[in-house]
Amino acid sequence: MAEPLARALLSRLEAPLAGRLRTARELVAATRPSEPATWGAAMPELAALLPGGLPRGVLTELAGRLSSGRMGFVLALLAAATSAGENAALVDLGDGLDPQRAAAGGVALERLLWARPRDLSEALAAAEAVVGGGFPLVVVELGLPPVPGGRGRDAQWLRLARAARAAGTVLLVSSPSRRCGVAAGVALALERARPRWSGAPAGPRLLDGVEARLVGGTRPGARAGGRCGAAGAPVALRLAAS
Amino acid sequence: MVRLACLAVPLFPLAARLRAEPELAREAVAVVEGQGPAARVMAATRPARRAGVRAGSTLAQARATLPGLAARGRDSEAERAAAEALLDVAGRFSPRVEDALPGLVFLEADGLGRRFPGSDGERDLGRALARAAREAGLPARVGVASSRLAARLAAEGAAREGEPEIVAAGREAEFLARLPLARLSPEVALGETLTRWGIATVGDLARLPAAEVASRLGAAGAALHAVARGLDPRPLAPRQPPPDFREGSDLEWPLATLEPFLFLARAALDRLCRRLEAEGLGCARLGLSLALEPDGHDERSIALPAATTDARTLVRLVHLELETRPPGAAVSGFAFTAAPDRPRAAQLSLFGPPELSPELLATTLARLFALLGPDRSGAPRASDGHRPERFELEPFAPPPPPKFELAAPRPRGLLAVRALRPALELEVLLDDGGAPRGVRPLVTEAGAKRPAVSGEVAVASGPWRLEEGWWSQGPMTRDYWDVELTGAGLWRIFRDAASGRWFADGSYD
Repeated sequence: MAEPLARALLSRLEAPLAGRLRTARELVAATRPSEPATWGAAMPELAALLPGGLPRGVLTELAGRLSSGRMGFVLALLAAATSAGENAALVDLGDGLDPQRAAAGGVALERLLWARPRDLSEALAAAEAVVGGGFPLVVVELGLPPVPGGRGRDAQWLRLARAARAAGTVLLVSSPSRRCGVAAGVALALERARPRWSGAPAGPRLLDGVEARLVGGTRPGARAGGRCGAAGAPVALRLAAS
Repeated sequence: MVRLACLAVPLFPLAARLRAEPELAREAVAVVEGQGPAARVMAATRPARRAGVRAGSTLAQARATLPGLAARGRDSEAERAAAEALLDVAGRFSPRVEDALPGLVFLEADGLGRRFPGSDGERDLGRALARAAREAGLPARVGVASSRLAARLAAEGAAREGEPEIVAAGREAEFLARLPLARLSPEVALGETLTRWGIATVGDLARLPAAEVASRLGAAGAALHAVARGLDPRPLAPRQPPPDFREGSDLEWPLATLEPFLFLARAALDRLCRRLEAEGLGCARLGLSLALEPDGHDERSIALPAATTDARTLVRLVHLELETRPPGAAVSGFAFTAAPDRPRAAQLSLFGPPELSPELLATTLARLFALLGPDRSGAPRASDGHRPERFELEPFAPPPPPKFELAAPRPRGLLAVRALRPALELEVLLDDGGAPRGVRPLVTEAGAKRPAVSGEVAVASGPWRLEEGWWSQGPMTRDYWDVELTGAGLWRIFRDAASGRWFADGSYD
C-alpha cells in the first residue's frame, strides 16, 4: 500500500531528485554490507575483475611479492576513496608510506588516517580499532618480508573479518604472501610482475614502471555477498614510474 | 519569591566512601574520624546500624557492639569528588547552583516549568534530581521550597530517597513553625535570650512582631526572625563551575604494584567518564596526581589526540604511562583530573558520503594513541624539502565530506615507493664505470628484521644527484640509483657523498 504511494510521489519529483530518493526497502537493499563501494569502480582493473569494486563488509586479501605493484595498487585505492570524499585508514606495518608520492598519486592526505604499528599484533589491534571507528575503507599493509610478528593466528584474522562485516567496512589486507586463510572473502594476487625500462641495454636506462597481472576473486565457500561473487579473467595492471 | 530545590546527601562522608567502593554497602562498615582511642564513628552502613552501631560512639564502643565492624577513615579525595559530582547533577538542571556544604546543594527551580510542566512539575523535578544523583552514585534527598532553610529541612525530612518533599510557595513559615528553635542554629547568646523569653519553636519566634525583635535583638535577631518566617536573608550565590573534573581516592594502605592500583583507577576513571558524558564533554587531557609514601608527590599529564569518554582507553593510557615511568615509591592516594573539551559536532549529509561519528572517531584516535603511543598515528602531511624519507604527522581531523557524492576520478596508476625507515646500509660492488653491479646488506642489526636487499644488479639507472641544505651546517648530497636485482625486486639506493656509504631507502612497488 505504502510503496505504490511512495513511487507515485517519487514520479512527480524532478528527475535528478527522484533519482536520489529511495523507498525504505531500496534503502535497506542499497546499504547491505556486502554491496561494493561506489568509488571502487574508479579503478578499471579492479572493476574488470570484481564488478563494482571491492565489497563492503568483507576481508579482501591482496598478495604480491617484491615490486609487484602492491603498494601502487593500495595507493590507487586510497586515492579513489579519498578523492570521492570518503575517509580511509591505512594501518602501515612496514611504515612504508611516502606521503609525497601518495599525494602525487591522488590521495587526499587530510582524509587519510595513517597508523604505524611495530608488529603484526599491534597492526591487527589497530585495524580492529579503526574498523570499529566507522571508517568506510581500511587498508592493512603488511609491508615487505619478513613481516614483524609472524603470520598471525587464524582466529585473529577471523575476528578482524567479523569486525569488518559488522561495520560494513571495505577491508583490504595487503601482504607479501597469503596469510588470512579462510577469513578472506575475496583473494586477489599480483603475479608475473616485471619492471619496464626504457633505453637500450647498453646505454642509459630509465625506469618506466611495472607491469603485473591482477588475478583472483571470491573464495569458494567464503561469505562474500552481492555482486562480487564471480571472479573475472586476469587483468593487466600497469603502474608508471612518473 | 524564587523557588529553590535542595539536594542533601545524608551521612555524606559515608556516601562518598560508598560511591568510591560500592561493594562496602552490603558490609558492616563505619567511617571514623580521629586516631587510636580518640577515633569516633561518624557514620555507619545499614548492616552496622541495624546491629546497634551509632554515630558519635568511639570505635572501641562500636566494636564492642559489633566485633566484626570494619572501620574506614575519611577519604578527603573521594569526598571532594562526590561533592563535585553532586554539583554536576544540579548543574544539569539549572545554571544557578549554590555549593552550600559538602553534600548539600541548592539550585534555582524557577524557569523549569517547560521541562517539568503541570501542577506536579516540582515533584517531577525532585524525582528527576534524585534519580540523577542516584545514577551519579549518591543517595540524595530532595526538598523544594522558597527559602534555603525550608528547602534544606524539607530535603532532610523527605520520607524516602526518591520522593521529594515539596513546601508550597508561601507555606514556608507554616512548615517551619513546628520545628524546635535549635534548627535555626542561633548564636549562643541570642539563643539563650530567646529561651528566657519562652521561645521554644521556630513558629513562636515567627509570631513575634518583626520591628520589636529588631529593636531588641539587633540585626542578628532580625535576620533570624526573617529566616523563621521563611525568608532568605540573601539571594542564591551561584558557583562558577571548575575548569576541570576530578576523581580520586585516599588509599587505606599504600600500593606498591600496578595491578591493584589499576583496579581502583578503573573505577575512578569510569566515574570521571560518566560525569563528562553527562555534561556532553570529553577528556582532552588527563592529569594524574599520585601521593607517594611517605611524603612524596608525583604529577603526570597525558595529552589525548581527541576528547574521549572511553574509560577503557584512559585506563590503558594510565597503564602505559606508569609502566613506562613507574612512581618511585608506594602510592597512598591518587586523583585524576580531566581537562574537558567539547567533542566536534557533525552535520550529516543527505546526499554526500557519510561523515565519521565525532564521538566514535575520538574514541578510535584515543585507542590508537594508547595502543601505538605518541607520533604513531595521525594524518600524514608532505613537508617541504627534498629528502624522500621526510614526512610529518598531524592530528587526524578530516574536513567535512562533500555535500554531494563526488565521482571518483581514475587514479593516476603511479608506481609507489615503499620507504625504508631507517635507510638500510649496503655494501655495493661497482663496475668500471662506477655503476652498481651487486649489493648486499652491510650489517644486520641484532634482532632487527629488515628486508633482504641482496643480489646481482640486472639493470641500474642513475645517478641522480640530490642536494639539500648546502648553505647549512649539515648539508646533504646523495647520488641516487634505481636498481633491478635479479629476482629480488626494484630498489632505490643512494651513495652519501660526504661519507661514501651506500644505503637503500625505498623499494619500488
